[in-house]
Amino acid sequence: MRNHPTVKIVTELDIVAARRLSRNMAKEIGFGVVDQARIATATSELAKNIYLYATTGEIVVEKIEKNGQKGIAITAIDNGPGIANPHKILEDGYTKSTSQGAGLPGVKRLMDSIQINSELGKGTVVRIEKWLK
Amino acid sequence: MKELKVQYEKVLSDYLLNQNESNLYIGQNLVRQLMKNNISPEDLVSIHKQSMENIVPNLPEEVLNSFDFLIEVMVHFGLKLKEHQSLLLKQEEIRIEMEIAAKIQNLLLETKIPKPNGLDIGMVSVPVRKMNGDYVHFMHDDEKYFSVAITDVVGKGVPAALCMSMVKYGLDTLEYANSNPSYVLEVLNRIIEKSVDDSMFVSMFYGRYDLENDIFTFGSAGHEPALYYNSKEQTFTDLDSKGLLLGVLPEIKYSQTDIHLSENDFIIMVTDGVTEFRNMKNFDSRTYIKELAKSLRHLSAQEMYDKIFENLNKLNNFRLTDDFTIVIIKKY
Amino acid sequence: MNVNVQFRAEENCIYGIIEGEIDTFTAPVLREELDVINLKEGMNIELDLSKVTYMDSTGLGVFVAFYKKVIKENAKLKLVRLSKRLARLFEITGLSELMDIETDKKVEPANECI
Repeated sequence: MRNHPTVKIVTELDIVAARRLSRNMAKEIGFGVVDQARIATATSELAKNIYLYATTGEIVVEKIEKNGQKGIAITAIDNGPGIANPHKILEDGYTKSTSQGAGLPGVKRLMDSIQINSELGKGTVVRIEKWLK
Repeated sequence: MKELKVQYEKVLSDYLLNQNESNLYIGQNLVRQLMKNNISPEDLVSIHKQSMENIVPNLPEEVLNSFDFLIEVMVHFGLKLKEHQSLLLKQEEIRIEMEIAAKIQNLLLETKIPKPNGLDIGMVSVPVRKMNGDYVHFMHDDEKYFSVAITDVVGKGVPAALCMSMVKYGLDTLEYANSNPSYVLEVLNRIIEKSVDDSMFVSMFYGRYDLENDIFTFGSAGHEPALYYNSKEQTFTDLDSKGLLLGVLPEIKYSQTDIHLSENDFIIMVTDGVTEFRNMKNFDSRTYIKELAKSLRHLSAQEMYDKIFENLNKLNNFRLTDDFTIVIIKKY
Repeated sequence: MNVNVQFRAEENCIYGIIEGEIDTFTAPVLREELDVINLKEGMNIELDLSKVTYMDSTGLGVFVAFYKKVIKENAKLKLVRLSKRLARLFEITGLSELMDIETDKKVEPANECI
């Protein structure tokens, strides 16, 4: 994954950089304006989660291909406190609106798939994908 | 999708030519089809932008950009709106569950007021939220004894209600009304101490009335003292009995005290929701209740608590801040 | 409605001043604040309640739970400068017999009723 474009999330400005990176990549792959907006918004939510709850982490954006279909994958990696029930967090209304992961059910809706791996005290990896239709 | 785009463009251009109600109506009717095809608000803005580009060539750059801006805002707006809606849904589920739980609690903890010979008994118990943290338990199994327990769980809502069910079953297992108050409190303390977490306790005032000799024996576990009115002397006495809250420590001993009741004497038992006035820091509620009760002493127990409740509720601006329970026992 | 605690540590003593109202809503906050204290054997903890303007029975629950925790660690807890109103709450519930509680008449307005 190291060779893919990456944005380190330290300040709020880095959220904007992550959005820009994912949007440009989406455009390059051929996503329409609306999907570009969805991808940028989803990236933004992930980056914001890092900024608010993990203090630092990074966003990795990559082109993906499967069975001749093109898509985009965004991975958010942090060393933050972690989430206790990563699978539960995708249920709507599971978390308080102020806590980590609150935006994830929404992110899931904007994308085609979402995967969360988290360990308490070790950090969280969230990967989202969207395919070009 | 393509067909819808064509349709939208047609309806929009009709409207731009003629801004009448019927074109607006046709436009709104498109919504059903949009939804059927899973078109989101941001998709619609995009369709709108494309249609505008076709209908009005050479639209200023600013106008076209404004649509892109709107798409961005709509994506996030939709995201937040859905989050909000799902929270509302969740809240509604919880509300329904609470309602059911409250109904079950009311059924489980329903207090039937007994009518022992020579005593007039009245009570009111009003929860501040759905679930009541106060509970009154009467026992009257033969003609010799009548007993009453007035309890308040520290804490409110669902946890308090669950704890209260335990108190009720604890009292039920004691079965007979002639048990000594000190014994009852000791048994309940053991039950509660074993089964509840460290910050949950119950206060209880327990009294047993000997109907043949008119002797009231009482004990208290950290409960607000009851008020005893002696009609001959026209004085009030606090039925104070030192004892620790139930559930704090195991193996606690409780003391009990006897008083003799004569005709027209009465006892008022309350929970702290009755005496605690949050917004009136220097208000002496016990003195107030004594004076009020004294002026109402000619009324029946039920009429007395009605009036007391009415007056205290008024003082609280009709907004209870805690579960509110009064039991009045009057000797006639 | 809010509650906050300020701690000062001196060698083996911790001195805390609790300020605000303790009710169903703020009690969990107080509980968390008190849980932060790293209890050690023989430690003396003194909590100043003179700035607590209101407390209901939920607040009592927090103090009792904390008291039990302190005792378990062989440390000592003392509640000081309670208003008459607060002191009465500890008295009625029988907790004043159990816990080390000190009232302070200086902080009381002279005309307060029991």
